[in-house]
Amino acid sequence: MSPLLIALLGILLLPLFVATWRMSLFGLAAQGLLMGWIAYRMGPPPTTASEWLTLVDLVVVRGLWAPLALYGILRAQGADAHRDVVAPNLLTWTVALGMVVASFTFSEALVAESGQQQTLISVAGAGVLLGFLVLATQASPLSQMMGALRIENAIALFELGGERHHEPLWLQLAQTSVVALTVLLYRRYLSMLGGSAAPTEEGALEEPTI
Amino acid sequence: MSSFADIVLPAVARLNLRGRLAHARATTLLVAVGLLATTLAVVVALGPARAPMLGGFIRIDATSRLFLVVVNAIFLGIAGYVWNRVSAAPALHVRATRFVTLTLAFLAAANTVLVGNHLLLLWVALEATTLAAAPLIVRPGVRASQQASWRYLLFSSVGLGLVLLGFGCLARGMEADGHVPTFFIDRLPEVASGHANIWTKLGLSFVLLGLGTKLGLAPMYSWLPEAYDEAPPAVTALLAAVQFNCALVVLFRIVHVYRPQNGSVIAGVLLAMGLASMGVSTLNLIATRNLKRLIAYASINHAGVIAIGLGVGKSAAYGLLLYVVSNAFIKAILFLTAGQIKAHYRTKDTRQIAGLLKHLPYSGVFLMVGTFALLGFPPFGSFLGELLVLSALVSSNQMLVFAAFCVLVTMSFVATGRTIFPMIWGHRKEAQAWPRQTFVSVLPKIVFLFVLLALGLYIPPVINGLMREVASSLGGA
Repeated sequence: MSPLLIALLGILLLPLFVATWRMSLFGLAAQGLLMGWIAYRMGPPPTTASEWLTLVDLVVVRGLWAPLALYGILRAQGADAHRDVVAPNLLTWTVALGMVVASFTFSEALVAESGQQQTLISVAGAGVLLGFLVLATQASPLSQMMGALRIENAIALFELGGERHHEPLWLQLAQTSVVALTVLLYRRYLSMLGGSAAPTEEGALEEPTI
Repeated sequence: MSSFADIVLPAVARLNLRGRLAHARATTLLVAVGLLATTLAVVVALGPARAPMLGGFIRIDATSRLFLVVVNAIFLGIAGYVWNRVSAAPALHVRATRFVTLTLAFLAAANTVLVGNHLLLLWVALEATTLAAAPLIVRPGVRASQQASWRYLLFSSVGLGLVLLGFGCLARGMEADGHVPTFFIDRLPEVASGHANIWTKLGLSFVLLGLGTKLGLAPMYSWLPEAYDEAPPAVTALLAAVQFNCALVVLFRIVHVYRPQNGSVIAGVLLAMGLASMGVSTLNLIATRNLKRLIAYASINHAGVIAIGLGVGKSAAYGLLLYVVSNAFIKAILFLTAGQIKAHYRTKDTRQIAGLLKHLPYSGVFLMVGTFALLGFPPFGSFLGELLVLSALVSSNQMLVFAAFCVLVTMSFVATGRTIFPMIWGHRKEAQAWPRQTFVSVLPKIVFLFVLLALGLYIPPVINGLMREVASSLGGA
C-alpha cells in the first residue's frame, strides 16, 4: 500500500507546482480515488453496508462529486486556466516541501515502528499542513475551497488508518451528507463570488432585512 | 421524550412549510415552534436527569437541561423579533419562508448538540447548524455579506475539521492505552482515565483549537466580526447567543472528560487562546467605529474571558457559568438593538449616531443597560461571574494572567464606553422624525433584560442547582 500513499503525496504536491484550476480539480479527484483504493486494499473486501458507504464517501463524494460540482461552475464562468494554488516562488515551494519533511519527522514520534501506519500518518499530516499553507497564502474563494477540501481529505485518510470500529450506519451517512452538503454550498459560493478575490465594498446598506 | 421533541418539533415544522397556508404564516409558525420548544425545555429542566436513550445517543444531564432552557428561550425571543419585523415590513414576507425553513433546521440541530451523548453526533449537529446558518448571513445583492458568509463557512469547515481530526487522535490515544475507542460521552471517562499519551495531548489541542475557531477565539477569530457585522440582526443574535452556546457545550463535554488526566494541556491551551483573544479584541475595540463590529469584538473579548475561566476551572466554574448565561442574553439584546438602530439611522458609524435616549427611547435604554451588563457592572450576572473568575485566578496563583486580564478588561471597558456612551446621551445635530417603536416590538428584549437582572439579583433555586451541577462537572467547587 505504500506506493499508493506515495502516489497520494505526489498528488498533494502536484497542484502546488502546476498552476491551473483544472490541475487542482484533477488533484482533488485523484485524492478521493486513491483514498478509495487505499481503503479497499487495507482490509478484507467490503461486505457490510458501512464498509461500502466508506468507499462511496471516498470515491463518489470526494473523488467525483466534489471536483465535478466545482468544475461545472468554473467552466460556465469561463475562468482563466492559470490559477496558482500557492504563490509561485521559491519560498512557498520550499515551505511546502519543508512541511512534508516536518510531517514525516513528526510521524516518527507518533508511531514508533516504521511501516504502513507511519507513512499513512505522514501523508495525512502533510495533507493537513499543505491545506493550511494554501489557506494562509490565498484569498480567492476557489483556492480557499481547495485548501479546505484538502484538509478534509487528509482527515478522511487519517481516519482510514485507525482500527475499524464502525459507527452506526445512520451516523456514517450523516457524516457523508455533511461533506456532500458542504460541497454543495461551496458550489453556490463559487457561483456567487466567482473564483477570484474581488475587493469588498464597506458594509453597504440595503433594503430592510429580517 | 420532551428532549427528543425539542429536536423533532422544529424539524417537522420545517417540513410543514411546504404547505401554502404555512407559507403565508411562516413567522407565526416560527414563534409557535419557539414557544413549544421553550416550554418543553423548561419541562426537561424541571425534571430529573435521565439515563441515556435512543441507543445511548441522547442523554439529559445538568448541562443539557440548563442550556436547553437558555438556547430555546433566546430562540423564542429572536422568533418574536422576526415576527414583529416581518409584520411591520410586508416586503419581507417573500424572504420569510426561506428564513424560517433554515432557522428551524438550525434549531433542530442546535438542540441535538445540547442533548447528544456521542462526540460524532455532536460534530454532525454542529456542522448542521453551520450549514443552515451560512446562507442566512447573505443579504440579497450585498456582496460584502456574501463574502462574510463565505468566510464564516470556510472558518467553520476548517475549525470543525480540526475538531474531527482531534476526535480521531483521541480515539488513537484510547487504542494506545489498550482500550476499545468509544465516542459515547458517558463512557469516555472510563477509557480516557489512563495516563496522558501523545495522541491524547495532540487530539485535545486540535479539538480546543477547532472549537476555539467556532467560538471566535484567537488565532482563528477573523470571520466573527465580519459575519456578525454583515448578517441580519436576527441571524447575528442566533450565531452569537445560540450557536456560540452549542459550541461551548461541546467544549464543556471535552473539558469534563479530559481535565482529570490532562488538566495542564487544557489549561495551557485555553489560557493562551483566552488571553490572545482578549488582546486582539481590545485593540480592535479601540480602533473600530462600527457599532455591530464593536459588539462583535466585545463578544470575542467575552469568549476570551470564558476560555480563561474554563482554563482555570475550580472556583471559576460557577462564575464562568453565570457569565456564559448572562452573556447569551446580553448579546441577544445588543445585536437586536444594533439592528434597530442601524435600520433607523441608516448607518453603522457610531460617530453619526447620538441622542438615542431622546430619539429611540427603547433602543437607547436597551443599548445603555446592555452596555452596562456587557462591561460587567453590578447588579448584572456578568459582574459576579467576572469577579469569581478573577478570584479563581488569584487563588490558583496565576498572577501574570490575572494582571494581563485586569489590564485588558480595563482597556476594553474604556474603549467600549468611549464609543457607546456618546451615542446614548450625545446631541444629534439634525432633528429627525423617527418612527415610534411599539411595546410589542421590544417585548423580547424586555424579557431578556428581566432575565439578565434576575441572574444578578435572584437566581431561581432550580436554575442555581443546575448551574452548580454543571460547575461541579467542570471541576468546580
